[in-house]
Amino acid sequence: MPAKLNYTDNLKYYLRIDPTTESDVVRELDAHIEDKSHELVESGLPEEEAEAKATQLLGSPRLVAQQMYEVYSQGSWRQAIFAALPHFLVAALFALRCWQNTIWLLGILGAVICFAIYGWCHGKPAWLFPWLGYCLLPVIAVGILLIYLPGGWAWFAAAAYIPLALLVIFSVTKQTIRRDWLFASLMLLPIPIVLGWILALGVGSKFLWLEQLYEVAPLISLSFAVLAITAAIFIRIRQRWAKVGVLFVIEILILVIVALGDRNTIGFGGWLLLALLASFLLLVPALLDRKIRQAGEKSVKLSHKSPL
Amino acid sequence: MNYERELLKGSTDSLLLCLINHQPMYGYQIIKELEKRSNGYFQFKEGTLYPALHRLEKAGVIQGKWQKLPGGQERRYYYITPKGEKALAERLAAWQDFSTAVALIMQPATG
Repeated sequence: MPAKLNYTDNLKYYLRIDPTTESDVVRELDAHIEDKSHELVESGLPEEEAEAKATQLLGSPRLVAQQMYEVYSQGSWRQAIFAALPHFLVAALFALRCWQNTIWLLGILGAVICFAIYGWCHGKPAWLFPWLGYCLLPVIAVGILLIYLPGGWAWFAAAAYIPLALLVIFSVTKQTIRRDWLFASLMLLPIPIVLGWILALGVGSKFLWLEQLYEVAPLISLSFAVLAITAAIFIRIRQRWAKVGVLFVIEILILVIVALGDRNTIGFGGWLLLALLASFLLLVPALLDRKIRQAGEKSVKLSHKSPL
Repeated sequence: MNYERELLKGSTDSLLLCLINHQPMYGYQIIKELEKRSNGYFQFKEGTLYPALHRLEKAGVIQGKWQKLPGGQERRYYYITPKGEKALAERLAAWQDFSTAVALIMQPATG
């Protein structure tokens, strides 16, 4: 593979910035390699050697990509507020105890759908992913509600619905990972928390359930407010390692808040499973990203090898 | 990290702003111009120039625009913005004060 192509492929692998900026950066460095190669050819080097030397002089593509990432990874305060907003809306829903208020619910649902569609169609900016996460929650919630179907219908519906729901979640996650796996982790962040609260409240009579919900509403609100702050911090931090650290530490902190509202319905095994699920959802996008990129590299190599 | 590199690191933004203020340029041209004007003293690590340019662009002090060269190739030229002109004027004033003060201490007294 020519040195220039190899360099830009490596650069793209590590860049993880929005596609428009990425193409600008790659094009600019491509132009630099072209100019430098031309200078080296004029000084007497053979063309191939000149190109290799020009790319070498640019330095490690990983380092350049990392520095570029740090330039673009920090979102503005406006983006941070936008990213925190869906969590704040949910926090307000529970703080004001208006989860049975249709206008509130429809308002939140409408905002989630509108912002998610707008962001998805406008270059997938960083603030989009918390909104997108809430779009996935109804898919999971419907799956949970299937338990309440009578008799054999529950199994029948689950068999049909679960693969479909998994397909939707997997497909959205995969698209998000292509943008940056860290955004997928951010998007999936509320899932263990929502699941934790559903399990903590337990399944009982409707009256008892509502009474418990009223009791723990401040804690639910607090957990989503912390989630909102996490999303805002995530957008404002530059370094990748710090973003991962924030997601991990605060997810555990929120699970502790959920534990405070638990009426001994989850148990040790349940908590262990929730902690494992939280870690899994945080890290599995990184593994999937690796797989997707390896598959992409293989197909690029094959397309370079195949004769015209 | 050696002393000269630290000095350059602290002055990179001012040097880039100063060059771009003089004339809009693209990355490769900036490297060559820096080398030429400093008699080879400033030899930028090529890969680190572009993140520095993009950082300045994100701060709103310069703006990049793709333009065609006479040969037909496109290059990303950087222009200074009004915000950049103001920042450069402030930096130059600060630099002048700083270098005068340093010279007063570092240079042996004459007369």
